[in-house]
Amino acid sequence: MRGTDYVLKRVGFAIVTVFVAVTINFVLFRLAPGTAVSNLSRVPHATQQLRHALEVQFGLDKSKWQQYVIYLKQLAHGNLGISYENEQPVSTNLRIALINTLPMVTLGTVFAIVFGTFTGVIAAWRRGTKTEGLTVSSALGFYAMPTQWLGLMLIIIFAGVLPTGGMTNEFLLNPPFWTHVKDLASHILLPALTLGLVLYGEYTLIVRSAMLETLGEDYILTARAKGLKPRTIVRKHALRNAMLPITTLIALSLGYIVAGAILIETVFSWPGIGRAVYEAVLQRDYPMLEGAFLVLTFSVIFFNLVADLLYFKLDPRITE
Amino acid sequence: MSEASLFVEAPPEAGTKSSRGFLLRTLRHQPAAMAGALFLVSMTVTAILAPWIAPYPLHEQVGPVFGPPSWQHLLGLDDGGIDMVTLLIWGLRTSLVVGFAATFVSMVIGGTVGVVAGYFGGGIDTVLMRITDYFLVIPDVPLMIVVAAIWGPSLFHIIIVIGILLWTSTARVLRAQVKSVRERVYVKRARALGAGHTRIVVRHVLPQVAPLLIASTVLTIAVAIFDETALSFLGLGDPSNISLGRIIENAFERAAISTGAWWAIVPPGVLVAMLILACSLVGGSLEDALNPRLRVAHLSARTFRLRPLVGRGEDAL
Amino acid sequence: MSEPLLQVEDLQVWFDLEGGGELHAVQGVNISLERGERLGLVGESGCGKTTTALAIMGLLPPNASVSGRVLLEGDDILAGGEEAMRPHRWVDVAIVFQGAMNALNPVRTIGHQIVEALELHNRGKGATARARTGELLEAVGIPAGRAARYPHELSGGMRQRAAIAMALACNPKVLIADEPTTALDVMVQAQILELLDGLCQDFGLALILVTHDLPVVAQLCNRCAVMYAGEIVERGPLEAIYHTPGHPYSRMLFAASPDLAGLDEPVLSIAGAPPRLDRPIDGCPFRPRCDSAFGACAVRPRLEQLAEDHAAACHLNSRVPA
Repeated sequence: MRGTDYVLKRVGFAIVTVFVAVTINFVLFRLAPGTAVSNLSRVPHATQQLRHALEVQFGLDKSKWQQYVIYLKQLAHGNLGISYENEQPVSTNLRIALINTLPMVTLGTVFAIVFGTFTGVIAAWRRGTKTEGLTVSSALGFYAMPTQWLGLMLIIIFAGVLPTGGMTNEFLLNPPFWTHVKDLASHILLPALTLGLVLYGEYTLIVRSAMLETLGEDYILTARAKGLKPRTIVRKHALRNAMLPITTLIALSLGYIVAGAILIETVFSWPGIGRAVYEAVLQRDYPMLEGAFLVLTFSVIFFNLVADLLYFKLDPRITE
Repeated sequence: MSEASLFVEAPPEAGTKSSRGFLLRTLRHQPAAMAGALFLVSMTVTAILAPWIAPYPLHEQVGPVFGPPSWQHLLGLDDGGIDMVTLLIWGLRTSLVVGFAATFVSMVIGGTVGVVAGYFGGGIDTVLMRITDYFLVIPDVPLMIVVAAIWGPSLFHIIIVIGILLWTSTARVLRAQVKSVRERVYVKRARALGAGHTRIVVRHVLPQVAPLLIASTVLTIAVAIFDETALSFLGLGDPSNISLGRIIENAFERAAISTGAWWAIVPPGVLVAMLILACSLVGGSLEDALNPRLRVAHLSARTFRLRPLVGRGEDAL
Repeated sequence: MSEPLLQVEDLQVWFDLEGGGELHAVQGVNISLERGERLGLVGESGCGKTTTALAIMGLLPPNASVSGRVLLEGDDILAGGEEAMRPHRWVDVAIVFQGAMNALNPVRTIGHQIVEALELHNRGKGATARARTGELLEAVGIPAGRAARYPHELSGGMRQRAAIAMALACNPKVLIADEPTTALDVMVQAQILELLDGLCQDFGLALILVTHDLPVVAQLCNRCAVMYAGEIVERGPLEAIYHTPGHPYSRMLFAASPDLAGLDEPVLSIAGAPPRLDRPIDGCPFRPRCDSAFGACAVRPRLEQLAEDHAAACHLNSRVPA
């Protein structure tokens, strides 16, 4: 099979990176100065039994090295400790938060990819015209806006038209299915739009840049010499090749999406993983903070791996 | 067929590429980037002169809470009755300080890593690039949040945290450039003549990569300012130094929106956006100018133009 | 006889320069090509030969402006711009680029790219097209089974053959080859040249060979046009130019080429550089590098007939002996 080596190498790299991330997490939270951090059992208002159980689970009385090993083992079991705030397992809290975040972030990202690609291609195609200047300026504009500020601007604009906070209307008790869906939809719009607009700016620039580079390649001249129509060339030759760098760059931007989600969820009080990070910081809920950070890092590593494999699938030149 | 050159190589364009000359020349050709550069310079000057140009005292209430814009207070007052223009000037100062300082840190790290990796190659290169790869994968803002939360919010900590995460792209870009410079004839000759590594790097490599370093620096400043804004918004900014991000955060916390006090929220964001935009324009145009692979598109909406026949008389066929 | 197959009249090409100004890359080129004829277009890099070749097919970038006429069997195909040119591409005139170039799309198989040309110009669809592709590949010496390969899986020589096969797919009347053997090694170069020779004969193709390499021209072409600073300074049969060059530049070119000059002759190189094309040229463009310049050279010379098929642009030819 072509490039099994390559796939294995990338997966291997991803696993090693996970390891490094986990270790950094441990170092940050357990070894950092300040005893408040290193004691996972310091759950406020917890019973003595719970405290003791946690101490045993995480081996908090043992040496740092042993703690590390135990930490790894617990991770493998999905045990991230107990949240200081609501005294639930961190993993449960995170799971709920993640489920809340995903639809919103997916919606925004899809919006950005679709419109960003469309606009980027047009900007590259109409190089040197006013259309290009306009599209690039607007893309730069959106790209330069601080995410949280854009969210606030949208709130100002749409106040009264769309809900500006939360995921659902709390006053709706046991709503029928479609009302519930509509309620969710109206709440998801603004946060998703905020993310979408900021990403749209970045993606337009990426796509335009990749297309310009591709349109300068020699095989485009060959395609033109063969008598192919420009639209066909853009579709079948340019876009296809430009997809390679575009995929990589979009994947690299995913680390940003994670950061953007934190800001957006804070502005819109969206109960997702971003806001979980924010509240954990506010409340100094270290177990939650540690867990959330780990999840976010995992997702970036995961999507980078996906991008690597996608690239591999798209580019027949990779055979090592 | 024959490798021997039939024609002596045409001498290179007159005028060596000095960094400063190159910078000015590139900017002159791109009005947008020029505007960006001027904006940045004027903002920096404003920030430096803050204690003298700020119209009102920073910590004194000079009017009602969320007072609307008026002739005395062009941008109104914030939640503490403090003049917005004053706030913006001081906030600009802090934001720029953090932006520049964090960028400096990341430039030092990224520059060193990039040059060392590119110049020495081999095992050192591989190790350094692996480390860079790991840093790249860790999401910036969450890590900054975590570290700021643990270490405590102070200007110094924030600068270090941002700087430690932004060096990767500089390192990569510089490494590629250094690698290509290393293969140039005059570098090889210098090595053959026995010049030491430091000498070669300082005299031959650095001048060549300087423009790219500048482009990368400017682009990093944009990200640093953005990151500082994000951290401040999440409450991790330095409480004793007001920054543009903190102004936005304050307005958010004190429900400026529901009070209708748009002047407390819109201007700081606009200022940040313009700073980031200016940096992106300048850095972007420098990068474009340095990109050796930039060529004319073979295909675009515009096509070649036809001109009416220019008569030069009949040439014998 | 009827009109020539291809006629280029007073072709001029300008390129817009960033920051204003223009580069006058082609300054009034005239070419005449009969059916089955082979013309070599020779000169150093930057003389405008590639631009001329591309202009014949209208393959110029957006920052170019053109004037002049390109007559294909009497019809001016340049007059309508890009749109009017397109129907003639590949079916009337086809081109093969330099081997070092990325001229084949790296993410598609070579078979796919040849089929694309066939289907576009209605020379077959599906299985018919694939069969024809196989024939074309065999004709250039590539086993038909290699159609499923990607360009990077082939050697430089094979890629060039594939490009030639693709160029012949729609039976063009004129083939333009732009530095077809540059960046290939010596053995492969000879094979490609032989291939081109055979194909042109078998299919009655007219050939315009653009190159800086004189021995290549000598092998394939009988006529030659020497370009310098955007214009043709000498044209005629290769033998004539070699034995009785009408322009100092041609003379020095031929003298400098080791294979033609004989191995015992010292290899001359021509000192200096061609003039800048972003400014108007004063007098003869070759004057700064010429070893025989004299007073009259302050005026730009025009192409003048020296013999029946031999013309050159040099004042030396009209100098009355003292």
